[in-house]
Amino acid sequence: MDFRNFSLHISQTKVNRFVDELAAGKFMATVCKKCGKKYYPPKADCSNCMESDMEWRQMGGRGTLETFTKIYVPPDHFAVRPPLMPFSTIQFEPCPIGLLEVEDGLKIMGWIPKMDVKKIKVGMKMKASPQLLPDGKITIVLEPI
Amino acid sequence: MRKVAVVGIGHGKFGVRSDASLRELAFEAVKACLDDAGISLKEVDSMVTGIAGDEFAFGLQPSAQVHDYIGFYPKPNFRVEGACATGSIALITGYMNVASGLADLVLVIGVEKMTEVPTSIATEIMGKAGDAIWEYPFGTTFPGYYAMIANAHMAEYGTTEDQLAMVSVKNHYYGSLNPYAQMQKEITLEKALTSYTVAYPLKLYDCSLITDGAAAVLIASEERAKAISKKPIWIVGAGIATDTLRLGDRKSLTSILSAKEAAKIAYKMAGVGPANIDVATVHDCFTIAEIIAYEDLGFCEKGEGGKLIQAKETYVGGRIPVNVDGGLKSKGHPIGATGVSMAIEITKQLRGEAGERQVKNAETGLAHNVGGTGQVTAVHIFRRG
Repeated sequence: MDFRNFSLHISQTKVNRFVDELAAGKFMATVCKKCGKKYYPPKADCSNCMESDMEWRQMGGRGTLETFTKIYVPPDHFAVRPPLMPFSTIQFEPCPIGLLEVEDGLKIMGWIPKMDVKKIKVGMKMKASPQLLPDGKITIVLEPI
Repeated sequence: MRKVAVVGIGHGKFGVRSDASLRELAFEAVKACLDDAGISLKEVDSMVTGIAGDEFAFGLQPSAQVHDYIGFYPKPNFRVEGACATGSIALITGYMNVASGLADLVLVIGVEKMTEVPTSIATEIMGKAGDAIWEYPFGTTFPGYYAMIANAHMAEYGTTEDQLAMVSVKNHYYGSLNPYAQMQKEITLEKALTSYTVAYPLKLYDCSLITDGAAAVLIASEERAKAISKKPIWIVGAGIATDTLRLGDRKSLTSILSAKEAAKIAYKMAGVGPANIDVATVHDCFTIAEIIAYEDLGFCEKGEGGKLIQAKETYVGGRIPVNVDGGLKSKGHPIGATGVSMAIEITKQLRGEAGERQVKNAETGLAHNVGGTGQVTAVHIFRRG
């Protein structure tokens, strides 16, 4: 799968396998074979020991919500265009996002589509899952356990 | 290293400057700065230009637009960039030029023209100052990053939305007294609290502004400084430090590691601590950022930043007056110019030229300028002669 289906802008990277695994329902981290340091998001190179001999390892998606927000004023890329039809309006309801701390202190960012932002609390137990979108893109969602 | 002093300051009007281009804004600040110092541009050895966004400037090497327009060639011009900390990185680069002996007199310019693009595009450009691969796909924006920092701080320390709004009320009050500010108007706590949400829990009045503007300072070696200025303001501490690109790679979201490290370097170099600072400008890109700055700089204990503003200790007359020029919140935040504007405010305060906003008998001042969500921070400490 083209990495851009996840990243939106960038398709050329050494960790392209990440999106293929994501599309297959798995979160993959990379682990340095020399020093054992684990990376999510995955890195092709270890900044701990400067080696590039990495292996892929699946990680669990369950964890604790470190923080969250709901962005009401989106960047242009995500902006909804006003309708051209006179007297018509669009009600824009953005989706909250969060940062979930999973194993070994690694943190997964994801959308929180099923919750009212006022009910989201730091420290909640949540689960991250890959999600294929109707336009063929791949992303990550978080939901309470 | 040689001693270095600020000997000239020039501040353009911040705001939606639809009357002027990037290069014209820079000219205004440079002209005011040279006039303040009583120096002609011919006497200047080199310049440093801080401009954060090529996307905002519609071209590569926007610094060449500036040195060409002000007629500064063929002398050296160093262009630097560090998102919102660009202006302070320009200052530290100028400082290194003079301290090393490479130059005696350096012009430091910060300038940004942000309103030529629509707000949604500006929001996108700024959003990509985070991790464009791993964060931006989730629609992240600058208010979004700081909203996540705010939620973490509120959950851990009980910081309240009221306390965030109190920062805004203070900075708008001082902005109303600053003729160079974008929003010269006071606001009430209620107005701040009832403004629309930009990124939960941050509301419109928790956010700094999208601004056009320029600021310039002239810095000099000891010998030149004493010849040029009756009131040279010495740069006695300069620290710069960094942190991870992605928020998710940080151990803590409730403080900014690069700010703590940069402050440590600057305090050590100046031989002072937080208790010795009489006046400070800190990076209030969002109200939560000012509260965290109080803590990172040691103006209060960790987690006590909300209480510090609630007790009005950061007003003139309080324990440590902060952002009494209106801060980024009210003065505006043309990202490349902000750090230079901070140096100007501290210089004015230490010269005793801040008028109604003057902190009585200020001798030592500090400027704290955060790039992005803290990927880089620069801290400078200034002292009067």
